[in-house]
Amino acid sequence: MKKELEAIQAEVLQALKQINTQDQLESLRIEYFGRKGKLTDVMKGMGKLSKEERPIIGKLANEIRSSLSDAFEAAKTALDSKQQGQQLKAESVDITLPGRKPTLGKAHPVMQILQRIEEIFMQMGFQVVTGPEVETEHYNFDALNTPPDHPARDLHDTFYLTDGHLLRTHNSPVQIRAMENQQPPIRIIVPGKAYRVDYDVSHTPMFHQVEGLLVDRHVTFSELKGVLVSFARQMFGDQTQMRFRPHFFPFTEPSAEVDISCTVCQGKGCRSCGHTGWIEILGAGAVDPEVFRAVNYDPEEVTGFAFGMGVERIANLQFRIPDIRTFYENDLRFLNQF
Amino acid sequence: MNITLNWLKNYIDFDFTAEQLAEKLTMLGVEVETIKQLGIAIDGVVVGKVISIRPHPNADKLVLCQVDIGKEDKLQIVCGAPNVRDGMVAPVATIGTELHSGVFIKSAKIRGEESYGMLCSEKELGISPDAAGLMELAPELSIGTPLAEALGLDDTVLELEITPNRPDCLSLIGVAREVRAETGNELRHPQIELNESDTETQGVTSVTIDDPELCPRYAARIIKDVKVGESPDWLKQRLESVGIAVINNIVDITNYVLMEYGQPLHAFDYHKLNENRIVVRRAAEGERITTLDEYERKLTPDMLVIADAEKPVAVAGVMGGHETEITDSTCDVLLESAYFSPSSIRSTAKTMGLNTEASYRFERGADPENVILALNRAAQLIAELAGGTICKGIVNVYPGKQEPIQIQLCPERVNFILGTELETTEIEQILSRLGFGIKMVQQEGLDQEAAPTEDNVFQVTVPSFRVDITREIDLIEEVARVYGYDNIPTTLPKGDIPVPVPNKLAEVRRRIKNFLLSSGMMEAINYSFVHPNCFEKIRLSEGNPLREALKLQNPLSPEMSILRSTLIPSLLNNAQHNHNHQINNIALFEISTVFVQDKEPTRVSGILAGEIGGGVYGNPYKHPDFFDIKGIAEGALEVCGITDYAFKLTDEPTFHPWRNAELLLDSKRIGILGEAHPEVLENYELPYKAYLFELDLNALTEAADFAKQFKPIPIYPSIQRDLAIVVDKEMQSDLPIDIIYSTGGKLVESVKLFDVYIGDQVPDGKKSLAYTIMYHSATETLTDKVVNDLHDKVIRKLNQELNAELRM
Ligand SMILES: [Zn+2]
Repeated sequence: MKKELEAIQAEVLQALKQINTQDQLESLRIEYFGRKGKLTDVMKGMGKLSKEERPIIGKLANEIRSSLSDAFEAAKTALDSKQQGQQLKAESVDITLPGRKPTLGKAHPVMQILQRIEEIFMQMGFQVVTGPEVETEHYNFDALNTPPDHPARDLHDTFYLTDGHLLRTHNSPVQIRAMENQQPPIRIIVPGKAYRVDYDVSHTPMFHQVEGLLVDRHVTFSELKGVLVSFARQMFGDQTQMRFRPHFFPFTEPSAEVDISCTVCQGKGCRSCGHTGWIEILGAGAVDPEVFRAVNYDPEEVTGFAFGMGVERIANLQFRIPDIRTFYENDLRFLNQF
Repeated sequence: MNITLNWLKNYIDFDFTAEQLAEKLTMLGVEVETIKQLGIAIDGVVVGKVISIRPHPNADKLVLCQVDIGKEDKLQIVCGAPNVRDGMVAPVATIGTELHSGVFIKSAKIRGEESYGMLCSEKELGISPDAAGLMELAPELSIGTPLAEALGLDDTVLELEITPNRPDCLSLIGVAREVRAETGNELRHPQIELNESDTETQGVTSVTIDDPELCPRYAARIIKDVKVGESPDWLKQRLESVGIAVINNIVDITNYVLMEYGQPLHAFDYHKLNENRIVVRRAAEGERITTLDEYERKLTPDMLVIADAEKPVAVAGVMGGHETEITDSTCDVLLESAYFSPSSIRSTAKTMGLNTEASYRFERGADPENVILALNRAAQLIAELAGGTICKGIVNVYPGKQEPIQIQLCPERVNFILGTELETTEIEQILSRLGFGIKMVQQEGLDQEAAPTEDNVFQVTVPSFRVDITREIDLIEEVARVYGYDNIPTTLPKGDIPVPVPNKLAEVRRRIKNFLLSSGMMEAINYSFVHPNCFEKIRLSEGNPLREALKLQNPLSPEMSILRSTLIPSLLNNAQHNHNHQINNIALFEISTVFVQDKEPTRVSGILAGEIGGGVYGNPYKHPDFFDIKGIAEGALEVCGITDYAFKLTDEPTFHPWRNAELLLDSKRIGILGEAHPEVLENYELPYKAYLFELDLNALTEAADFAKQFKPIPIYPSIQRDLAIVVDKEMQSDLPIDIIYSTGGKLVESVKLFDVYIGDQVPDGKKSLAYTIMYHSATETLTDKVVNDLHDKVIRKLNQELNAELRM
């Protein structure tokens, strides 16, 4: 009987290797384990065994039965996974087809840069303030210590309206308005449009500026340097060098023009920077006492600094657009690049 | 202004290269814009001497020259110039030289004879257009020296940008003073020695100043028996190298002294002055003058003129008169050196549209104390270079002499403003190198010298040439720039950060912009200026207040002559531009202020036209329709937390009369949207429909509500019932929704329209609307019975109120 059992075990294991479908597996199961199955038949002969043999054969039969049952289970699992694999294969897609990407809009490149500038100054505690673009001579010039015969007031530079107003030539009038409306400490930036009569590859009659103003009881020129160096490092990278050159603006004293190390040649000198290694990016200075007087601040009591930069200019350090008027054509082939 | 390195060295010593000097000047605030090497084009050209000539054996028109270029071996050079002769000194381009014209010199056989270089004409060297023969050089030049050096052409020109506050730098001596501030080296002023004749100047002319306010100082000299002619080479070269046209020796000398001292001078032909005298006065009404440039100019009484006994002979400080100018026949010269009021010169020059070297300096502010120095220097040079005798003495009328400005400077204030720790001695040294008089006085301003202690201050005397220095802060800037901005420490602000004020408009702007970007629209920025015809193009009705746009007095062009009161025309222009370039996926928006009378409201506007979407497999293009633009507007309201609004059809002519809506908030219009009218499309040459919206961000800001509150997530299940009704085609589809909500009360959670059908399946003049209603109770699980009863009630109500038939 032992032999019979072992023969069945060998037969079943051999048969399982040939199985390809669940149906075949089921038939095989019935053939051996069913009520009239071969194994069942053999087991029926257990009664005829001697008392000594019975437990031994019984143990063996259980072992074989259990191991075959495991083998059937394994065969079933293998069949299942094979079947699933085939099903999944039938669901294959061409992964090189394009993704169904939602159509995304893009912010205007000048606005992207403007936003970055705003963020950097906001981290340093500056608040964003805006003001009118149609201005008076008083706010655009007089209050900024720019007397009537200053060259900046020539008709050549300023757009005048027929009603005697003008389009602000810089965002500085908002600084005056801010100082009129609040007491120090003041720490603001003024983003927005400004206008000058200029139209060529590097000038548009409307452009964007960010101006800044910090007024407090004791603000120093060294702090102006600190704020701007910190801005430049964040805007143009850690390695950016900065250079402050004396300059002249009617509304600041001392005044400076500020250069950064050329972003193309890293200061070695190239065509972009006129072989100087430096690129001018902004104007700045300590607020002139006359400006404080114009807003009824006492220049003995407060000091401050102001700075201003052209956003298109800074944007173009990165984008290198040969004709900056392209910014305002709103050609979608252009806008899509940024 | 241009200067040259060699010329500057006449007035001060320094060891800098041109690049180093440029760097130093730039960091002092005198920006060097370009550095240009003179004489580069004639590198390799040396002074040579022809020592013998013999005929060329094979060519009649050529000769063989032996040329000495200062080396042991003489060069054989074949030459065809008509003026070549034995003993002639001429430029020789040696082997390896590349000439101005690009010709490269190499040893060559010319008609069988060796030639080791080339004797050159002025044209071949790029010096002048003269090609008639070899350039004749002075015989005393040292043979073999590079030509550039021999001619003084080996110089470097620096182009300076002088800021308007620094007229004192508009001269070589002025720039030399800046070099002194940097190096501490002493200035070297020109040596002036005059041989005056016995004739008293006062005896042969006189100067009367009628308006001392406009002319605080006028001085004149007479130089007799001059010979007007060409200036010597060195003078011509100097002027040409800095870009000043060469005219004749007298005029060239006045220009040379102008460059040297920054003092404009003018030379008159003495005999052409009526009564040989000068009257400085305002022009009389109706007077005219023909200026040097031979234009006749009208004069007005606000202009200062230099007149003789009868009529104006020069526009003071701007340009001389043609009639009295120096000509070849001039023998006696009246030389003017004066100081004029800057604002008067500026206004005259501006009115006349003239900008001369003289007016440029006078309008920024010349140095009244320079007047005599410059006058004497020019007289000396005229006597030296044009012959003539200088009359004795000067007519010097100086009604407007000013005392030097005195300023108190507190050394502590310097450090307070700059954030530095400068010693008083450093401050003192900087200011005295700049030419300021400086002494320590007691704080109280007693004009008495005192010890340098903390309680004491500097009493600073401003030199007459520094017209820009009037206040303590101006002196602080002087200290800062000479000390070096780069040497000032870099620190962060120590003061308190002000308390931020919330900016709701900025928040609305940010949210709407992000929403529009995520909806696939691109951000545009347009000029604030538009063409006045844009209102016609968008068919704005006659009385629309948007038509009252602000106009520019000096527009760049008609296309940019008024300020826009709406963003819509700009976006239509953008659509047209893109369509013209075959780009038809137009989804653009702009957020900007517009100009409406004296207000500057902020608007957001957008356009959808052509084909929108991805245009790729799986995300095909689609033609936008009214509901795309309406959805954009609704989304914009949603991100602002605005829920209570209404759309209403309008009769705005810009839009399709049946496909537009105004957006009402509390029955106030805050925006408009719709399909552009076919004529508007035609006006912008668009072959497809365009959908536009414009919203007032200020009104949205007022209504915006960003506050959000938690509502409990439903515990009990919702029950869905769909409902299709047939109603009149014209009926607004939002009416049933209102009825469903009001009938169902709190138990209706939401109603959504999911289908609109017009066609075969419904009778003519009718449409089918299908809704999904979600029923829900916050307090219990709704039973089918409750829902069914309620749903039936809704259906009855719809039938009663709208005559709606249930569609099976
Ligand atoms: Zn570079």
